[in-house]
Amino acid sequence: MLEERSGWGLFPQYDLRRYPHPNPPPQAGEGAQRRRSRHFASRCIVFALSILLSAMLPSIASAAGPRIVSMNVCSDQLVLSLADSDQILGLSRFARDAWQSWAADKAQRYPTLSGGAEDVLVLKPDIVVVSLFDKRATRDLLKAQGLNLVEFTVPRTLEEVREQIHAMGDVLQHLDRAQAEIARLDAAIARARAAASDRHYRVLPLERRGFVAGDDSLINSLLREVGLTNAAGELGFHAGGFASLEAIIKLRPDFILVAEAGDRAEDDGRAFLLHPALQRFYPPDKRIVLPERLTVCGGVMLADALDRLTEELQRVTR
Amino acid sequence: MSVQDFAFAAEVAARRRWGATAALAALVVLLTLLSLGTGPVRLSPLAVTEVLFGGGSDVAQVIVREIRLPRTILAVAIGSILGLSGAALQGLLRNPLASPSLFGAPQSAAFGAVLVIAFGLADVRSYALPVVAIIAAFGSVFALLAIAGRNAGLLILILAGLAISSFAGAATALVMNLSSNPFVVLEIAFWLLGSLEDRSFVHVALALPFIAAGAAILLSQASAFRALTLGEEAAQSLGVDVGRLRLLVITGVALGVGGAVAVTGTIGFIGLVAPHLMRPVIGHDPARLLVPSALAGAALLLVADIAVRIIPSTSDIKVGVLTSIIGVPFFLYLIMRERRALGGGVA
Repeated sequence: MLEERSGWGLFPQYDLRRYPHPNPPPQAGEGAQRRRSRHFASRCIVFALSILLSAMLPSIASAAGPRIVSMNVCSDQLVLSLADSDQILGLSRFARDAWQSWAADKAQRYPTLSGGAEDVLVLKPDIVVVSLFDKRATRDLLKAQGLNLVEFTVPRTLEEVREQIHAMGDVLQHLDRAQAEIARLDAAIARARAAASDRHYRVLPLERRGFVAGDDSLINSLLREVGLTNAAGELGFHAGGFASLEAIIKLRPDFILVAEAGDRAEDDGRAFLLHPALQRFYPPDKRIVLPERLTVCGGVMLADALDRLTEELQRVTR
Repeated sequence: MSVQDFAFAAEVAARRRWGATAALAALVVLLTLLSLGTGPVRLSPLAVTEVLFGGGSDVAQVIVREIRLPRTILAVAIGSILGLSGAALQGLLRNPLASPSLFGAPQSAAFGAVLVIAFGLADVRSYALPVVAIIAAFGSVFALLAIAGRNAGLLILILAGLAISSFAGAATALVMNLSSNPFVVLEIAFWLLGSLEDRSFVHVALALPFIAAGAAILLSQASAFRALTLGEEAAQSLGVDVGRLRLLVITGVALGVGGAVAVTGTIGFIGLVAPHLMRPVIGHDPARLLVPSALAGAALLLVADIAVRIIPSTSDIKVGVLTSIIGVPFFLYLIMRERRALGGGVA
């Protein structure tokens, strides 16, 4: 114990940066009262004693739930919203990328991984959460090393999203939080459905370069659940594909759903969505904007996505 | 052959040249109309002409005027400048295998543009893209001519061109490699294939000034190319400043190719093929070859761009892919024909 203490004393910042704080400040709405009071107490004691306590806490906390490593930006989102902060040993390297990571702010507090197997092995997590889209070789190697891998697929329907939230709650031993998130999602669906008010607007979700997602996409499930019609079906894209500008203009859906509102074209794919012909029929008040980080993963952020959709529907149908 | 016979033969040749040029121009006009009538949405020729004269439904108007017209204008302009650049380079180097794409000019211009896209330095519809592409194209052609020297044989030119285009390709691959955003990599990969799809008048405004300037420079040097056929020393004695001519041609090609690549990505081999198609009809005078080569280039690119819209496929074929698929076998055929000259280069 003495050696451990001197270790903390010598390189405190180093250790805090590389690994999660063994005793993080309590977050609003999470963390048990028991631990909060313990934390408060530790502040009252002398400095040396508080260091001693911090060094001891990890072993106490690990008894609360499995310690986890997430290797995919989508599982990061679930882990960040359902796990205790001392359960999280590491997140994927895109976890802090605000463009695709909904919980990027929260992720700042945790170490990120390289994406390879090495640092995962060093961390010795109880569970590694991966996506079936992650590198096969890495997954196989981790399995061969005896790590406990939990694999998540990419959800294609809201029902699958609910199942995944539940499954992650199960893995993290926080089913209560998972239930709460599912309830939040259902409430958001109800609000969006009220905003769409059964008018069955024809909405065409349009990605860069005119890519249109197919029938089994999450966005299609989202639109259907809310009571909107995905106009992609009329284009004949049941499996997804690239729509031509001409075809979109001929189809004339009520709204197009895009990920960005600005008028800067950083590449050709974006320039497609800013083509003058499309702008003419779809000025900003005909564009429903849902940022990529709200829709790229199916998870708890879909509640936010749906609330955003509600706001956007209210804006464009005003 | 008497003097009269000779004069008669010359007159026949001149008539044939004019006839061929006029026929080509008519072909380009016809293909332009065809291009305006082709697209995923079926519009009758009547509807298209109606739109061109200011009528038609608003959907038809937007489709023809804002989607197909800029695309067609770009096809004509870019096809022309590529054909013209090929003819000019072949005239300058007195070498039938010279062309922008074999010298790595489009690949280098693409590298310049890819840099801008990958690092998000500017909007892809800003002048930054053509300017950087032009600088890169200028650098590559300049380097090629500097490496190959004044009287370089076929082999040296082609080897140097191969090296430069490989280098530009490798540099582009490096940029893609270093890019952390998978979308950026995909965008660049698509962009490199070369396409005229979904361009707008913003793109026309971006490319056209540079293409026009490049074309003007190249066309103004017609008589110098003719003098050059007599050899560099003879040309010099006729008052051609060969050093200045080289610089002008490089500038013209860089302006044209750089401007074109900046809005369409790399479209290769038009510059190689067009002058060769014209030589049997027009003759070997490089000055007279310039305009017909430009027209042939425009016709070729229009045909290719119409073809990619007609050929049934699950995903759209990029026009740059099509021109390369046709252009490379043509290049091989040319090499076969020039085998003797190439063999001589080795010995």
